[in-house]
Amino acid sequence: MWSRRILIGCAATLFLIVCVLPAAYMLGVSVVSPEGTFSVSNYSRLLSEPRQRELLLTSITLGAAASAIATVIGVPLGLLLARFSFPHVALLRVALLVPLVIPPYVLALVWIFLTGYSGISYSLPGAAVVLGVGFYALPMLAAEAGFRRVDASLEEAGLMIANPRRVFIRITMPLVTPLVAAAGLLVFALSVSEFGVPGLLRIRVFTTEVFTAFAALYDFGRATALAVPVLGAALIAALLAKWSAGEGLLTPNTTWRPAVSSPSPRRKAIALLLVVAFILIAAAVPIAVLVGHAQRVLANIGPSWPAIRISVLLSLIAATSIVVLGLVLGYARGRMQSRSGALLADLILIGAFAMPSTVVGVGIIGLWNRPTIPIELYASSIIIVLGYMARFLPVAVLIISASVRQVPISSEEAAAISGVSWFRGFWRIVVPQVRGGVIAAWVAVFVFTFGELGTTVLVTPPGESTLPVRVYTLIANAHQGEIATLALLQVLATVVPMFLLGLTFGRTESKL
Amino acid sequence: MNTNTPFVRMIDVRKHRGESVIVNGFSLELDEGEFVALLGRSGSGKTTILRLIAGLDTLDEGEIWLDGKLASKDGRNIIPPRLRQIGFVFQDLALWPHMTIAESLAFVLSSTNIRGKDRERRIAEVLAAARIPDLGTRYPHQLSGGEQQRAALARALAPRPRLLLLDEPMSSLDAELKSELALELGAVHRTFRLTTIYVTHDVSEISGLACRAITL
Repeated sequence: MWSRRILIGCAATLFLIVCVLPAAYMLGVSVVSPEGTFSVSNYSRLLSEPRQRELLLTSITLGAAASAIATVIGVPLGLLLARFSFPHVALLRVALLVPLVIPPYVLALVWIFLTGYSGISYSLPGAAVVLGVGFYALPMLAAEAGFRRVDASLEEAGLMIANPRRVFIRITMPLVTPLVAAAGLLVFALSVSEFGVPGLLRIRVFTTEVFTAFAALYDFGRATALAVPVLGAALIAALLAKWSAGEGLLTPNTTWRPAVSSPSPRRKAIALLLVVAFILIAAAVPIAVLVGHAQRVLANIGPSWPAIRISVLLSLIAATSIVVLGLVLGYARGRMQSRSGALLADLILIGAFAMPSTVVGVGIIGLWNRPTIPIELYASSIIIVLGYMARFLPVAVLIISASVRQVPISSEEAAAISGVSWFRGFWRIVVPQVRGGVIAAWVAVFVFTFGELGTTVLVTPPGESTLPVRVYTLIANAHQGEIATLALLQVLATVVPMFLLGLTFGRTESKL
Repeated sequence: MNTNTPFVRMIDVRKHRGESVIVNGFSLELDEGEFVALLGRSGSGKTTILRLIAGLDTLDEGEIWLDGKLASKDGRNIIPPRLRQIGFVFQDLALWPHMTIAESLAFVLSSTNIRGKDRERRIAEVLAAARIPDLGTRYPHQLSGGEQQRAALARALAPRPRLLLLDEPMSSLDAELKSELALELGAVHRTFRLTTIYVTHDVSEISGLACRAITL
């Protein structure tokens, strides 16, 4: 058991250093004066500025509107996927996930191209639509999972006395609502934390102000103090999401049967048509717009080749190291016995995931950019990998821990009784059973890191650039054709692996 | 009520699921007030027969008549489940986890014309008949196994159904609770004169309860 404790202890320490320390450091720095004494001057300065209230209102309005749009789009789609037994449902689901894996700043770019640089392009409703379309897949997946988990007999008991519409409203929806609410809150947290979309669409929110305070004004104290309201909003939303999902009523029992609607062939065909039409709007249109604007592809890719190469390389390194660390931490979380310990772990993980990208960036710079550290982290690409780890290690842990919980503890106990060491049992018994979750986590992390902008734009060392940072910095000066070409490359590099993974899992799902 | 015709009549009912035949030419006639037990091992089609009578599944061939009215025929449910006046106790009980027992009963009764004070009186009556008079404010997870069983029975009885279908209602109970609940079911049957079909694989559950047993 010592090998288990040492491995998990090392992984947990790394997690705290990489993911939690930057946020803790920022909070600490924000209450220290330039003279090194305790001071709340940064906060009193912020509170005395009426503009801060406006910023808070804009940030919360953007998060709430994006969450509402994502939920309104996602829930009906989740219902159709769960209940209508469509042919090739795995393919449809993967196609519907495309906007989630397109980096939000690329969606914002598509929005600007579509609306023709008009007033609506650079508006709060525009930003809310872009984020709503970018994140609707989260409520969709939550709703699909919820509708699938409702035991058929719960609805049938209602059908004995009420019509299907009333049963849906009074029985089905209340059971699914906690999961959908959790997803909606997560969308709120992610939207409040987003930098690329408000940055490109010129919406002044806390994340863009943090960026300006640090990158343009070099005011570290102000940047950290500005980060606190957005960090608070994201954390509250994350806490509520955990509470809402944790109160879930959908605990399948031993006789659970899935509830499946039996729509008429005509209704099923209309529903399928609606889903396909939505896929065309949300997934195909952005790609088509970029293809339409892309020009002289090879000539435009040439000067950006170093950025593309470093993006691929760093994403591969980050995804692999994150998943290795995530496997150990995911196992530890999945096997946690104490309910309060598991709750605390989930809160830290969700909170770390919801942390705004610019906040992470400023925290990492403040923490690692100092002469006392022997390796010049800040001057090398390692700082970018650290940024990726800080942002996406929690995602990998959450995905892998969900897989670990599906593996019965008895399968490990059987190995232990036979005299197999813990590490061998973990490697030969647990890892093969969670490999689906590990692969899913690797692809998700690769996709997210490849499109990461908010943290990378702050921490990238001078003279280096990742693809998203290059596109972001080119937008102000370069020709549309070049920007569209690079954005298209960005989309293809994230959508293709996601499709391959989705289809592999889809085939497995259809065999079960 | 049609006095000359059976209350439940199933004629040559067939049901397939994929390649396998679940119910193969099953016929049944049941008079009003009768208590019939359907016996058989797992997979013999007992539950499917109950679900076909309730209209929760559609039959492939055959006819089902309820109180002289054609309810299902050749792949079509002519009368929807909610209009069949059937109370159903599911094998997993299917208690709604987001409602208290009293709220469940109120929801069931909201589909009838019973309103206000009458509804409250009916809820109290049914809870008393199921021997859980003080548990209306509890959620299902706050009840013991036996209490959950009684709550499911109360919900089935609340709208005063004309036919009660019980799908292995005691499968998860210990022997003592089984005999206790069997006595109570007998009392309910006598009080309400309910036509009842009781599905089980355990003959001992129905001794002293059923007028007739059919083995599948």
